[in-house]
Amino acid sequence: MNFLPSKNIIWQVLAILGLSCLVGIGANFSLVQKYLKGEFQQSFLSRDKYPGVTFISLAEAEQLFAQKAATFIDARSQEEYVSGHILGALNLPLNETKKGVAADQLQALSERSLVIYCQGGDCETSEALAKILYESGFKNIKVFQGGWAEWKQAGLPVAEGNGPQ
Amino acid sequence: MVRNKHLLFIFRLVVGGVFIWAGVLKIMDPLGFAQNIKNYRIFSHDTSFFLALVLPWMEALCGIFLIIGFWRRASALLTSAMLLGFIALVVITIARGIDIDCGCFGQFSRKLDYKLLVSDSLLLLFSLSIYFFKPKKLA
Repeated sequence: MNFLPSKNIIWQVLAILGLSCLVGIGANFSLVQKYLKGEFQQSFLSRDKYPGVTFISLAEAEQLFAQKAATFIDARSQEEYVSGHILGALNLPLNETKKGVAADQLQALSERSLVIYCQGGDCETSEALAKILYESGFKNIKVFQGGWAEWKQAGLPVAEGNGPQ
Repeated sequence: MVRNKHLLFIFRLVVGGVFIWAGVLKIMDPLGFAQNIKNYRIFSHDTSFFLALVLPWMEALCGIFLIIGFWRRASALLTSAMLLGFIALVVITIARGIDIDCGCFGQFSRKLDYKLLVSDSLLLLFSLSIYFFKPKKLA
């Protein structure tokens, strides 16, 4: 039994590490170029794969809300939704949506622009839900990354309880 | 001591196979994997992106090397190090109560839970055996 790696093995380990870096970066060179140009700064969502999904700020979300130009979708759990949500938002919890979006829910939302949000900060559920909805046919999806936390802090209209209003 | 060369060969096939499988699935979707890494809320955006490009190739290369028997011990050392890292990540993530997919096998990933610790530990045991024990013919 040899517990400590010999010099040879250390060199081999370094070689595998180096080779992985070379191949990994080389094989994804176009992604690296896009990354360096700033394409994936907001999210790792590929614009080519999800062209209809965009990211919006609080100001943009507020404008869409004021103009009633979009349906707001809350991607958090039902408990979080009940304890407070953006006024008029519908609740589509990510974990339940993964099992399939109800056809009537989809129909009610069709042709509308959607604004999806979750808690805010580091929450990733809104983006994951955006992907699912995009794949189920929605092509106009905006992800509001500031989410519930930013909306509430800004003192914008909110509601509590099970219904949107 | 595991000195049975047939057993050690099976260990190499199992660990190598799992790492090739895990690596290839992630190589096919680097951006999805970057998001999976970021979901752990430990690595920065840039680090997640870099790891997502490099780690899957490291997994696949080590897996291939283990199976063909090239740089066997170095590959086993690396897979052991990766598995230790994965185990640490799973423990930290469970302790922090973050509910995510593990991201281990691309789109076939399952929920991150304690069962993952069992399979990772088993692989680590196999992997360390490959590193530490020289295969010897049975008497």
